[in-house]
Amino acid sequence: MDAATIAPGLPVEIGRIDKELGKLWESADETKTRASLINLVIYTEEPGALETNTNLIAAIAGKHACRAILILANPAAQESGARAWISAHCRFSGKGGNQICSEQITFRLDGDAAASLPNIVFSHLDSDLPLCFWWQAPFREPLDGKLWSWVDRLIFDSSTWANPAAQFALVHRIDSLAESHAVLCDLNWTRLHNWRVSLANLFDHPAALAILGRIDSACVTAAPGFRTTACLLLGWLAAQLRWKLLPAGDRFEVSDGRHIAFEIREAAGEDLSRVELCCADACFHLDLIGGFFRATLRAPGFPDSAFTLAASPENVAGTLLSELSRGGRHPLYAKSLRAILPLVSAKE
Amino acid sequence: MPTRKPNQLANPLKEGLVNRSAPDPCALVIFGASGDLTHRKLIPALYNLAADGALPPAISVIGFARREKTDESFRKEVEASVREFSRQTVSDGAWSGFASCLSYHRSAFDNPGGYESLARRLDELDAARGTCGNRIFYLAAAPDQFGVILENLRLSGLNRSAKGAWARVIVEKPFGTDLPSARCLNDLVGAAFPEKDTYRIDHYLGKETAQNIMVLRFANALFEAMWNARYIDHVQITASEPLGVEGRAGYYDKSGALRDMVQNHILQLLCLTAMEPPADLDADSIRDEKVKVLRSLRPLTGDDVFRHVVRGQYGAGAIDGRRVAAYRDEKNIDPESKTETYVALQINVDNWRWAGVPFFVRVGKRLPKGATEIAVHFKSVPPVLFKATGEAVDDNVLVIRIQPDEGVSLRMSAKMPGSSLRIEPVKMDFHYGTSFGKATPEAYERLLLDAMSGDPTLFARRDEVEEAWKFVDAIRGAWETRSDDIAFYSSGTWGPGEADELPKRHGAKWRRC
Repeated sequence: MDAATIAPGLPVEIGRIDKELGKLWESADETKTRASLINLVIYTEEPGALETNTNLIAAIAGKHACRAILILANPAAQESGARAWISAHCRFSGKGGNQICSEQITFRLDGDAAASLPNIVFSHLDSDLPLCFWWQAPFREPLDGKLWSWVDRLIFDSSTWANPAAQFALVHRIDSLAESHAVLCDLNWTRLHNWRVSLANLFDHPAALAILGRIDSACVTAAPGFRTTACLLLGWLAAQLRWKLLPAGDRFEVSDGRHIAFEIREAAGEDLSRVELCCADACFHLDLIGGFFRATLRAPGFPDSAFTLAASPENVAGTLLSELSRGGRHPLYAKSLRAILPLVSAKE
Repeated sequence: MPTRKPNQLANPLKEGLVNRSAPDPCALVIFGASGDLTHRKLIPALYNLAADGALPPAISVIGFARREKTDESFRKEVEASVREFSRQTVSDGAWSGFASCLSYHRSAFDNPGGYESLARRLDELDAARGTCGNRIFYLAAAPDQFGVILENLRLSGLNRSAKGAWARVIVEKPFGTDLPSARCLNDLVGAAFPEKDTYRIDHYLGKETAQNIMVLRFANALFEAMWNARYIDHVQITASEPLGVEGRAGYYDKSGALRDMVQNHILQLLCLTAMEPPADLDADSIRDEKVKVLRSLRPLTGDDVFRHVVRGQYGAGAIDGRRVAAYRDEKNIDPESKTETYVALQINVDNWRWAGVPFFVRVGKRLPKGATEIAVHFKSVPPVLFKATGEAVDDNVLVIRIQPDEGVSLRMSAKMPGSSLRIEPVKMDFHYGTSFGKATPEAYERLLLDAMSGDPTLFARRDEVEEAWKFVDAIRGAWETRSDDIAFYSSGTWGPGEADELPKRHGAKWRRC
């Protein structure tokens, strides 16, 4: 199924966007149907990101129809100006040559025009549909309470942050804004979903489960730049297993006084490539190899065994789709983050 | 929702991980491993679940059948089926992971030794794969084998679970051929497995749109407020298919449309449409409400049957531009057969909510197109305001499409643009495929996962099955007193003209699907 994509599309006057979109559909043949489940706004300040984001929308629109609003802002530009384009992403659906189409409105906001972001968003939403806002730039003060109060799902990717501690603090502030009911969706956390499921599955066997309470070391191998990802996974283990990070930040403590050593190893390759959980007489490994998890168990009363499990989506589109289709809040994320926040703040 | 038994240790890493109850590690034994159902539906469904990461790694699937096969040849055989019937492309990596959990156990269904060796094998798999003593026995064999399989499961002790583990049985339809045989089968199942561990599959209940009926009704104030006799004129349930008997002649000629479709699928859809809101989403709360509907069905007996039920049989005709034979000329069909390939019924639900609202049901083979849908026809507006214009105002119709093209549409009236007042029906249409681009899982995927998770919500309970048979048996009882009422229809048409009388007496007509 090929996506027919025009990027960034047909230039239009900002005041005539709705009319031009209407014309676009009037001129479309009967095989094209406009569909939309959500408003998906992506805000970036990276000059090259518009094309990437357009391709991203093309990749997800067939599976999660949306009105996409892509915004490229350059608040530092000397000259102020706002420009817009419209386009559609159509994908063949089922038999009969019918195509399902998602609209894309693209904005470029330079200089002072960047400050009109809330108005640009508010005036181009598809009514009554949820607003998912992917903020690809660093969060910064002042936070616009009005904008954030409209957002239903705030998407971000903490693996891209240069200063995670400051950014997490701002996300926390957005979350606590009086009118904000936004669900916080960290794609860095979404990517870990299958890691978490697979790790949990390792302990389904009663013999393995009995060992879980005796684990005394944890090691996560992450690629350079993915320390936050590794921290989040450790945070999840800590939150679920009631491990408490000691003030020195070098090990966890369990309620019975036992200590759990942990390590984040750096190795080129996958964002995360290995998780090891060991105690004196047992070791559980989960490796990501060639798009699949390979689990290896060595434990008393449990035959040495290995099995293969499905892994997480490998690309951004897959991760975003996974997030959009899962829905709901992420209470485990908040819990895991709390368990590991001092570690996230530490320098790499 | 199922709860973990107190003596089972909870895996703390699984808390809050997924928003549904997670499937437990288990061994799934499929009786009838060489059959069509296993190859076309069950193994592809299991593969899809594994490829989506929805199965626990500690799972074993054991094919149980009479034919000589090795584990390896069984894997090869089902791999070919998965590549042909899976809804997603098969990746070698995912397949090799999944294939490692497949094995084959050769035995005749009536050989007690085969069950003893199965028990030993399951114990070995518990140790090797961590299946924790949990067992599911899937009866995918011919229905006449269910008894002997259940009896041997009981005699070998496989029906009993070890401490902290569980043993469940999944029974494929048909659940008997009438009320006495259903009771007999239920007694057989009940002698081996308690009702809470018995999962009777009606795959219609695993379809997304069937599950959506409850959401549509109870999560939308707009509909539920009007879901009663005050606003609804009548309901039509249609299940049509262009296919003939194909490879099922032997079974179908004994069964017929009433028993094959109405007793199970159609009455389940009717229950979901007519039931009261359950107190909660607990399996028994929902099934209690469905049973109440079945108990409220006005029994059709004696002459009422011939007034409210029309049975038909297809003659020769054309489907998709190709000539097709009459039912009686099909291979392996009795040339004098009186089996109905079409049935239309007017069903009344005698309770407060549905008093005076008929449910018109039609089910048939060799009809022009394949469609399963529920159409809720709302009452007309008072003929006052637009009477003078001479414009007819069509009633609102809410259509829930179960298959194909799953979705919901609402017909309403709108003014045609222009200087004159002209009213035309327009349709608001929601297509699952359009809005949710991702492929909807096969019904069997959902149902297998539910059985592994201990959630029986989408499975029929004993009393549901028996109440449905009571209703259907009364109709069959009347049919047995006559044979001159079978109406013949040409293949490729919408059934016998006699069926049109049913809605017509109510001032309605069958909707165009």
